[in-house]
Amino acid sequence: MTAATETDRALVDRVAKGDRAAVRLLFMRHHARVYRFVARQTGSEMMADDIANEVFLELWRQAPGFEGRSEVSTWLLGIARFKALSLLRKRKENWIDDEAAAAVPDGADTPEVVTMKEDKAAALRRFVDALPEEHRTVIDLAYYHGQSVTEIGEVLGIPVATVKTRMFYARKKLGEALKAAGYDRGWP
Amino acid sequence: MSAAEKMSRRDEMETLLPFYLNGSLEGSELEAVEEWLASDPAALAALGEAEAEFSSATAANEAIRPPADAFSRFAKALDAEAGPVRRPASSSWLAQAWGRFMAVPAGVAWAAAAVLLALIIVQSLVNPGGKSGNFEIAGAQDDLAKMPFALVRFKPDAKMSDIAGFLGSNGLKIIDGPTADGVFRLGIPAATAADYAKQLGLIAAQPFTDTVIEGRKPVDGG
Repeated sequence: MTAATETDRALVDRVAKGDRAAVRLLFMRHHARVYRFVARQTGSEMMADDIANEVFLELWRQAPGFEGRSEVSTWLLGIARFKALSLLRKRKENWIDDEAAAAVPDGADTPEVVTMKEDKAAALRRFVDALPEEHRTVIDLAYYHGQSVTEIGEVLGIPVATVKTRMFYARKKLGEALKAAGYDRGWP
Repeated sequence: MSAAEKMSRRDEMETLLPFYLNGSLEGSELEAVEEWLASDPAALAALGEAEAEFSSATAANEAIRPPADAFSRFAKALDAEAGPVRRPASSSWLAQAWGRFMAVPAGVAWAAAAVLLALIIVQSLVNPGGKSGNFEIAGAQDDLAKMPFALVRFKPDAKMSDIAGFLGSNGLKIIDGPTADGVFRLGIPAATAADYAKQLGLIAAQPFTDTVIEGRKPVDGG
């Protein structure tokens, strides 16, 4: 456990006792990541704004029930994930899946031509963004949010083996997309 | 056999690389990746590819900028919240609550006072006439309900310490509030109408008082 994590937990303890300053500190520390997580999940910054705020109000309300079995950041992302799914169900919006990603207007150029114009890093970023939601999410949670396999399982409510399978396919798709764009990286 | 079980060793290592890079890999999986990196010439190239993905995912996320006013809007919403259900009362529960009350800005502190009051009332309803933890609350609701009161609004720039000191030294109690307009119902410990009028005059004369409206006065006996 890192010192930062201990401080997060200490702050949650203070929140549980009604300390509003502590929840403000946690907001400042984690809001941007929660916001980005929801924005990437839903494709809507407006929804991300609503949900991220609601996540920290939920932290305020539920802090006495936090048992410290997971990291505070994992707990917050789990709440965010749940709220995002609930809101999406209510609004009957669909996740961006393979077909939707493929249908995103790509300008006048074909994907190949666009890719030729970019360097590899830009191409890779575009391919990450175009991954199906379930694959992009594990990529984001591992690379950007620094979550372990177990923590990703907790956030998404899926078994560890499923996390690994999704990571495998996510990276495989990225490799294939790069290969198709002329950047062969030797795997898959 | 699941897809995961069909993975080759290379597949497994490629799957674990993101977790190796973010520092969350432990135990046998960490050893396996390190052994692979040390022994397979292709592994270092694979690590470089994973680092490129790391950079791309980070850039994609950080390109999303939360609204600049997110914190101020959250702070407002938080102030409107009653707060979490508190843990069981400890010996210093009341003292801690009062300490927090004194430590925060006036608007927030008065909201907290209202919450504190509400908790006491709820507690007395749940456990009427009984004891809770180390403090006795019997009759609190009745006493407050029967108490003479006035409606008071304080100036926005009033100092909490001044108000709290004044209330405490004159036996005044917050019965309810604040309303949306910032009005509190203050309990006035007056036995006669004359005492009540005197107390109201005293409240009105304070530099931090904005408005005082007469409420229920004591009925003079005899």
